[in-house]
Amino acid sequence: MTKPDLGHESFSARIWRKTLAGVGVKLGFYWVGLLVFCAVFAPFLANSMPLLMSKNGVISAPVLQYLSVEDVWVLLTFCIALAVVRLRLSSGKRSLLFLAGSLATALFANLWIKPPVLVIYDDFRSAEYTAADWRIMPPIPYAPSDYLRDLGSKGLEAPFATAGHVHLMGTEENGADVASRMIHAARIALSIGLIASGIALLIGVVVGGLMGYFSGIVDMLGMRLVEIFEDIPTLFLLLTFVAFFGRSLYMMMVIIGVTSWSGYARFVRTEFLKLRKQDYVQAAVASGLPLTSILFRHMLPNGIAPLLVSLSFGIAGAILSEATLSFLGLGVVDAPSWGQMLDQAVKSSTFNWWMAAFPGGAIFMTVFSYNLIGEAFRDAIDPKLTQKPGAQS
Amino acid sequence: MLIYLLRRLLLMIPTLLGITVVVFTVMAMSPGGISAQTLIGGMDMKPDERQALLNYYNKRYGLDQPAYRQYLRWLNNVSPIGFTTDDTGKTGDFSFTKGMDLGTSFQYGRPVSDILAERIPITLLLNLVTIPVTYLIAILVGMKSATGRGGRFDIGMGMSMMALWSIPTMLAGVLLLGFFANIQHLQWFPTAGIGSREAQDMPFLPHWSDTGFVRGFLLDRIWHLVLPVICLSYGGFAALAKLTRTSILENLYSDYARTARAKGLAENEVLWKHVFRNSLLPLITISAGLLPSLLAGSLIVENIFSINGMGQLAVEAVKGRDRELVLSITWVSGFLTLIGYLLADFCYSLADPRVSYD
Repeated sequence: MTKPDLGHESFSARIWRKTLAGVGVKLGFYWVGLLVFCAVFAPFLANSMPLLMSKNGVISAPVLQYLSVEDVWVLLTFCIALAVVRLRLSSGKRSLLFLAGSLATALFANLWIKPPVLVIYDDFRSAEYTAADWRIMPPIPYAPSDYLRDLGSKGLEAPFATAGHVHLMGTEENGADVASRMIHAARIALSIGLIASGIALLIGVVVGGLMGYFSGIVDMLGMRLVEIFEDIPTLFLLLTFVAFFGRSLYMMMVIIGVTSWSGYARFVRTEFLKLRKQDYVQAAVASGLPLTSILFRHMLPNGIAPLLVSLSFGIAGAILSEATLSFLGLGVVDAPSWGQMLDQAVKSSTFNWWMAAFPGGAIFMTVFSYNLIGEAFRDAIDPKLTQKPGAQS
Repeated sequence: MLIYLLRRLLLMIPTLLGITVVVFTVMAMSPGGISAQTLIGGMDMKPDERQALLNYYNKRYGLDQPAYRQYLRWLNNVSPIGFTTDDTGKTGDFSFTKGMDLGTSFQYGRPVSDILAERIPITLLLNLVTIPVTYLIAILVGMKSATGRGGRFDIGMGMSMMALWSIPTMLAGVLLLGFFANIQHLQWFPTAGIGSREAQDMPFLPHWSDTGFVRGFLLDRIWHLVLPVICLSYGGFAALAKLTRTSILENLYSDYARTARAKGLAENEVLWKHVFRNSLLPLITISAGLLPSLLAGSLIVENIFSINGMGQLAVEAVKGRDRELVLSITWVSGFLTLIGYLLADFCYSLADPRVSYD
């Protein structure tokens, strides 16, 4: 039995408390947290160069010298996000501050960070780096694109099978360490999930909002558009987009976003159709507020909670889309991604279980986590379940 | 009913047009677009041969014309009524009987309709086997979890269905193929295709002959289909089982079910004749969306198991920038999807007599 909620708890606080009450959802959040940690600190977790070393009394940090623009940007953005969460501001101001901050750091990183263009990983295993007084290596001492030529890696070695050096998850066909690639690929998965579904949400809310608010002819035309996007198999549309527009990571985010907005639009439309004749909306119209204000300040907050549920499922879907595209050989080429690794597992002539199980397991865990979070969120929001205690699944 | 059917069929036309417009726009707007240049870019040829091929493509497909003219030209060729065209691309009179011409594939050099006629039945076979399997498992599991709500089976199934639902098809496919169809591990199932060559000459049914057991065409097909169908179906039945459970739970303690029990019907009778029939409705609604997701799923499954169906064709077509093939696959899969919606609506009226479309 749940006690009736009385007191000063706000709606969002109550939803959060209920969402976090389940066991599965905690698992989901832990996994996503782990992924965020991996994504942000990837260069410090898996890299060929020492984190800190002391040679002839001079202490240096080779990792810092070799940080790429992206590495720096991700780190700084993460710090900004942490700082913004601590600030006591309204959520709108917070997100604005965060966006401005991350844009500024992106600019800064692009202008000032000039990492060495050529990285020869073999050097880090030469006497120049190994003959130090002391040195601290990252937990996984191999970079994702370090093919271990000097160590005589033959590629496709099973976990712990190589004499001399440890590969937690084996090596892939070019000889690079799979565990290291997995950690670096967390970045692609997370960023694709967030940004692609963010784009989809944005398009969906705008199109669906306009459809629901104006109804009539706008609604009819909009619904036809939504139907068109729903009836083309999404994966096929994605394939066409990617095959014809090239495969950069950013393009892929936009493409996945552009192809998956129809669900959100349909959802927002039905919400707005319900809301448009409500008194407070009529009052907003009567007082002559601009359209954006009516739509996004007055109507949207009332339909946003269920939207977050589909956002959570949408993130899972976007991650899956990226993995599928990479799996079909249409993914990002220059960076490791889970789907691409899974593709390698199929393409090689022998079946190597570690090439399938680890990346595939990571995709599964991520999708599972987001699904669990979405499910818990939905149960927390659903008023029917609140009335019937014990009915939650 | 007939009028309703006609209206639905006519309403399909703008949607199908829209679908092809979207895909065509994507192709036309892409860097490089579809031009004769990109098609013969990689070929190693003498300059005059190259020029001849360029001219041929331009004349045959109108690739040197602006995009909208290309689209209209394609549309005119594909639609069963329209202007007749001769080999040089000149348009003639309006005709109602000119028939559909899906064009020739750039990549294969064969008529698109021939290629599709080979590939579509394979994908349809995969999906038609998958759908009943999906529903059977989903309904059995959903029913059992709903009747024993909160029990061990229910909670275990709830968790595992959620997990199954999240397993990417590629992972399942790769692992199944690796462990059950590989020489390194169990070699129980074939690795590729949907039939072995020698099965073509076998009689349809399995039987014993002088040389021993002959598995026959049917058994051979089934043997090849086991892994792909598992791959295609598990995601669907995981989602459907959850839905079935909630839907049955809603009806299990409703007034009419109580009445049925009160008048002394056996519990099984109540469950399957009264509750189940009412719980079917959301399942049917979902079935409309099942077909598109199955088509997308067969894209992956066919690639893993090397089955020459529509899915594999689609990947080859977009990789080869084969405009005619891409457009045809698009509208055919769109058409199948729409037919799926229509069928779902019909099933809805069959299951629920209150729904009628007159």
